[in-house]
Amino acid sequence: MLFGLTCITFTISHIAPGDPARLAAGPDASASMVETIRVEYGLDRPLPIQFGHYLHGVVRGDLGRSLRTRESVASDLARYFPNTFELVTGAMLLAIGLGVPMGILSAVYRDRWVDQMTRVVSVSGIAIPAFWLGLMLQLLLALELGLVPLGGRLGLMTAPPPPITRLLYVDALLAGQWRVLGDALAHAVLPTVTLCLPALAAIVRVNRAEMLEVLKQDYIVNARAQGVSELRIVARYALKNAMIPTLAMIGLRYGWMLGGTVLVETVFDWPGIGLYAVASAVSSDFQPIMGVTLLIGLNFMLANFLVDLAYGWLDPRVRPAGSA
Amino acid sequence: MRVLVTAILAVLVAASPAAAFERVGDRKILVFAGRQEVPTIDPSIKYDWSIRMAQQSLYDALVKYVGNPPEIVPWLAEKWESSPDARVWTFHLAKNAKFHNGDPVTAEAVRFSFVRTLKLNQGPAWMLSDFLKEDGIKVVNESTIQFNLTQSYAPFVSFLPWWYVMNPKQVMANEQAGDMGQKWLTTNAAGSGPFKIKRWEQGVLYELEAVDGYWKGWPSKDHIGGVLYKIVRESAAQRAALIRGEADIAEGLSPEDFDQVAKMPGIAVPNFPGMTTFGIKMNTQNGATKDANLRKAICYAFDYESLVKIYNGNAVLQTSPFPNATRGYAAVPGIYRQDLAKAKEFLAKSAYPNGGIELEYVYVQGLEEERKMGLVLIDNLQKLNITVKMVPLIWPNMVARGAKVETSPEMMAVFTTPVSTDPDAVAYQYHKSSWGKYYGSSFYANDGVWGLIDKARTIARWEERAPIYADIQRRIAADAPEIFGMLANRRWGMRDHVKGFVFSPVRLTGEVDLYTLAIVAK
Repeated sequence: MLFGLTCITFTISHIAPGDPARLAAGPDASASMVETIRVEYGLDRPLPIQFGHYLHGVVRGDLGRSLRTRESVASDLARYFPNTFELVTGAMLLAIGLGVPMGILSAVYRDRWVDQMTRVVSVSGIAIPAFWLGLMLQLLLALELGLVPLGGRLGLMTAPPPPITRLLYVDALLAGQWRVLGDALAHAVLPTVTLCLPALAAIVRVNRAEMLEVLKQDYIVNARAQGVSELRIVARYALKNAMIPTLAMIGLRYGWMLGGTVLVETVFDWPGIGLYAVASAVSSDFQPIMGVTLLIGLNFMLANFLVDLAYGWLDPRVRPAGSA
Repeated sequence: MRVLVTAILAVLVAASPAAAFERVGDRKILVFAGRQEVPTIDPSIKYDWSIRMAQQSLYDALVKYVGNPPEIVPWLAEKWESSPDARVWTFHLAKNAKFHNGDPVTAEAVRFSFVRTLKLNQGPAWMLSDFLKEDGIKVVNESTIQFNLTQSYAPFVSFLPWWYVMNPKQVMANEQAGDMGQKWLTTNAAGSGPFKIKRWEQGVLYELEAVDGYWKGWPSKDHIGGVLYKIVRESAAQRAALIRGEADIAEGLSPEDFDQVAKMPGIAVPNFPGMTTFGIKMNTQNGATKDANLRKAICYAFDYESLVKIYNGNAVLQTSPFPNATRGYAAVPGIYRQDLAKAKEFLAKSAYPNGGIELEYVYVQGLEEERKMGLVLIDNLQKLNITVKMVPLIWPNMVARGAKVETSPEMMAVFTTPVSTDPDAVAYQYHKSSWGKYYGSSFYANDGVWGLIDKARTIARWEERAPIYADIQRRIAADAPEIFGMLANRRWGMRDHVKGFVFSPVRLTGEVDLYTLAIVAK
């Protein structure tokens, strides 16, 4: 799959109009200057050779160099991806933490006010554009009320902790820099909430629908008839079965979000790979584009793998033969 | 428990509104909110407005552009002279100039810097590479450097403000695999400028701190103690940062945002006519616009006042192909303004006397002002029975299309900023050597004009050059290779405690000379 992705992305980026060498050289560059860059980045070679060279590099972990940043694509991704990872993971955890209980409550108290309120939230989350929501939250909570910072990952005068894992929260914890951690969490509030809402909406809707379906099953009716408490029925018998499709949706969504949430990153100046990918695309800087594509493909594969593992934990019927 | 409380308190502190400007000890730190990253600060590799703002702060050049109109003033060079034929230029360096690490700025450092840029053949190399070769740069003595050009070139000095001087010892000590220090200079500096790097977070923020013992001295005792250039990509977020006091300067606000913040207490909006021209380039070699009479008809049909309205009055119409701040600028009498009668007169003389054609107008996708200009074109040319097809493209694709005669659009919206006040910098945009560049996408051809351009750049005496450029401006205007549009004003949003701002139209887009800035507030 990754090889296929690479082939497609390489082809598209190289046949699209635009001369990346000219753009990198600058608008005033002479023909010789453009040629200097073309040679330096191997753009003067035939396409099959460029592709072969690229594949050879990928196998060794070398994803090429960005014409725009002048850095290796691997180091750029290492710089930007952890920011996206932390944002998306935080948003997804919040969405799951709120969405699953909301879906359960909505199903259990169907057509009551709890259900109606939950459905308003879920429809809003799907209907409201993320960038608009982000801007409105910024204007209200940051600008007007001054409750949270406007954007970025840290305050201006806050130096980041030593980059051990490149995950800001983890590095702050490891360095014992609690003030930095607090600052980072404060800056994460608005973008996390903005990003969380669409995912929350989707989780609520799917989980509610699945819970409603499961709660109608004969074995649930039987459990009620035998006097099992509603709490035990929901938590022990219904939820596990309802979570299977919900989990599939969470996995796909997580993988998709890890591909870069450009609009939220732009509004909140969150230095993630979404912004990196867009800036590269606009500059016809195709090696970062291919690098980001590979990374997205890898994210999807990992996300689906984790979902498959979770399936096995939830449903013993799908575990490999011979496992407990 | 204590850890939790500390983290919560930190969250609350971080959430409280920022002070009007940042302080570090007794240093006042200016916060500049900009949309454009600084991918490299290597003076030999690249420049655009954000890169050059950093380079100008970290490095010095032999001379510097200051003021409005821009004047070239001595900087690393105390004085200079040229031979009568403008082929030999000799610069005498200031004796007290030093790099940040204490090394003196010597003629050898200047020679190294120029040779490096020529060798790497990137960034500003194009400005001088046709006239200056490595072996033409001679160290006369420790404080005297001489440039022997391959041919007479009067505009030579006008490009020198952008050729920054690097410390060769530092650069070569950090060379990797024969790269002449490129990798190291991407995020480090080997300069002598008024600032040095304190913190560099690529794509997030860039912090510079003032050099206390800067060899040139500081213009004000209240000069800023440092700069935090923070990337803020959204115009709304920039505006919010300015209003909230989290930014002292913001660039790139929308015209409406600038108008709004200008009315707010505590905020000033410096507003100056710039040197960036806006023109709708017409392909003079291919397609319908190859017809000169058709081009003139279009020039007379266009509603020029609409350009000023689109910018809410913050634009000045061009009266010449050259920007007003260019040396030797001369208003062209009777330059095109909307006149439907004249438009029809020229249309009648063209190959399309009844119109009936469709012309393509290519503009930058997402740039609302250019889209509006397209709508104006549609309305105006409709009166000549000419339809306009608006084609939004991203900039790389526009540049690609404008690179060849066959693909260059009939009409293309282009902003151009000359890097020098010398008229040659603008005139050369109309030379054959500029064909294929975005500003040469009209593929203008006039042997007479080209001959004048080639001649004027070799003449040392300004009194002899000036009338040639006046003639060049008239001839270019007469050929109507483009709709000569306007010079958009340059604006920034600034907190009113920021003082010492000196505008110079030769600086690019959002670029500010940080050296002159001061913060005067309690």
